Amino acid sequence: MSTNRWLATGNYFISYKDEQRIYFTSLDRTIFTMFLLVLFAWPVLFPLSNKYMLVVDNILIAVVAVMGLNIVTGFAGLISIGHAAFMGIGAYTVASFSRVLGDSHVVLTHGWPVLIFLGGLTGAVFGAIVGLPAMRLKHLYLAIATLSFQMIFQWTIQILTFFDQGQTISVGRVFWITGKLGRKEHYFFWYYVILVVIIILGFMVRNLLRTRYGRCLSAVRDNDRAADAMGMHPGLTKVYAFGLAGFFAGVAGGLHAYLYRGVGFESFTLHESINFLAMAIVGGLGTLNGSFWGPVAIRALDLGMENLAESMGHLFPGQTNLATALKPLTFGLVIVLFLMFEPRGIANWWRIARSYVKLWPFRY
Amino acid sequence: MSYFFQLVVSGIVVGSIYALSALGFVLIYKSSKVLNIAHGQIIASGAFITYALTLWVGIPIFLSFLASMIITFFLAMSVERVFLRRLIGEPIISVIMVTIGLMSIIDGLVYLTPFGTENFSFPVFLPTTPIALGGVSISWTQLVGVIVTFIMIGGFSWFFKKSTVGISMRAVSDDQLASMSIGISVPKVFGLAWATAGLSAAAAGTIIGNITGLNFDTLHAFGITVFPVVILGGLDSILGAVVAGIIMGLIQQFASGYLDGNWGLNGTAEVLPYVILLIILLIKPHGLFGIHEIERV
Repeated sequence: MSTNRWLATGNYFISYKDEQRIYFTSLDRTIFTMFLLVLFAWPVLFPLSNKYMLVVDNILIAVVAVMGLNIVTGFAGLISIGHAAFMGIGAYTVASFSRVLGDSHVVLTHGWPVLIFLGGLTGAVFGAIVGLPAMRLKHLYLAIATLSFQMIFQWTIQILTFFDQGQTISVGRVFWITGKLGRKEHYFFWYYVILVVIIILGFMVRNLLRTRYGRCLSAVRDNDRAADAMGMHPGLTKVYAFGLAGFFAGVAGGLHAYLYRGVGFESFTLHESINFLAMAIVGGLGTLNGSFWGPVAIRALDLGMENLAESMGHLFPGQTNLATALKPLTFGLVIVLFLMFEPRGIANWWRIARSYVKLWPFRY
Repeated sequence: MSYFFQLVVSGIVVGSIYALSALGFVLIYKSSKVLNIAHGQIIASGAFITYALTLWVGIPIFLSFLASMIITFFLAMSVERVFLRRLIGEPIISVIMVTIGLMSIIDGLVYLTPFGTENFSFPVFLPTTPIALGGVSISWTQLVGVIVTFIMIGGFSWFFKKSTVGISMRAVSDDQLASMSIGISVPKVFGLAWATAGLSAAAAGTIIGNITGLNFDTLHAFGITVFPVVILGGLDSILGAVVAGIIMGLIQQFASGYLDGNWGLNGTAEVLPYVILLIILLIKPHGLFGIHEIERV
């Protein structure tokens, strides 16, 4: 495209190649690169305490998981209320190595990239299995199927002595080129690891959407009969969407296991699944940058409410319930308000801002 | 053998509560195709309203039971009016997510009251000695609970079979366009469906609260346990909800009676419904009494 797309009034793609580009303009590319630079540079420039670094790492792990959820819910239009369980599958893959080999065996401490990938693969297998009813069912029924997988997962973890009945299974500190990681650099190190993982997976998603398989997903979402008529296999596409989502969740789970240096069952409850769905919605379903902004917004809201409740507790002692009350209240309000007034999520604000700049000084 | 009959009796008690909880759920789904995930929270709030009216205001429990049903009737109606009315025609995920958001909001509101964290129990108003019949015993609260449940279910089936409003609700669930053309206000029917669901939820909540005591976690857990019941019975069948509720109650009681403690199993009653749910979804997704309108892909 020779003309500036920021000034154009519509999409003027003149070839398929134009439409399939990763960055539509050089400005897009510049903004993205700058953003990445900021992400890589800030922890060095403004070091945070371990407590807040953990929060940041947590957000990034949620980004990985929500990217997966966005594939299945945003692009393929299938509601998954069991995403935390898939994440748990990944985490417990790592945990089972720790159970069998001991928590600081060389496989765990040196082979962590392999184990995280393995967690992703296990997640993918389970995702595909849970997605099997998708061969026959649509929307609501699928949502219920994933919900029941979530419940079965929780029960299984709590009953199996192999997994210590849901109590925390420790995973040792990892080695990097510089040697064993200390307590201080742990969160710092994992920040960069997760960031790199996000970038790799993000490009994978972006590329996926340019290929035939990615377009299958949105075709099936928009109209599965038409997709069928076009020669796609909607059932298989759905199963494969679940598999992909399972992979992302599994990777997130593996990262979670290493970041927290332990796997406990309470990180993978139904509540977390709902959290992921909320993140995907608030960020914007079916958008890639939405999977980044959603987790940031929801986790920031959580943290803010915790701090607010704490300071309110100082002002009005005796209101101990306030913290437990404020979190779900604001969480629910945010979901409902977003759905009612901004169903396309935070990712849409970028679009709005862009069109505002583009059309200024006119309203439309 | 008496152990078996004891399990049957307690299964029927639990099952009839499931039936009543599932009833409200099915009502909403049948008329507006909304999967109401916040149903457990509505059940819990109904129970808490009854408790608050009985103990804090001092109304006799039977009156506060009625009053709580009426209050939840209007509460649920206003919930539909405020949150769900403007989402008619939106994609299905938005509607589900709104009910999830609603669930969180009600959670938060309940946590603002003492009910969120503390346990309460209704004042005893029935004889405490259980009725024993040949080795099988049932407590008075359970017996009254089951009787009230069946009266409510009977009332609801009369309402849907005979009354004009009930018939118009069935018409809307059958064909929205056709019912609009004969002068039924579809949004009003959606509101009424939510309202009656709220009413039945309050009744279910109060009965559960009388049998097990008031604990927010156990009460709102019914909102999730209702899923296997409605899938087994068929998402849009009231008869299915009743039958499947009792079947599910029996299955749970037998599971915890015969499976728990053997082969290292524990808490099977909590998971077995979901296993059954998955099997049903794979084999017979429309459930026992549902309409065969599942779209295959």
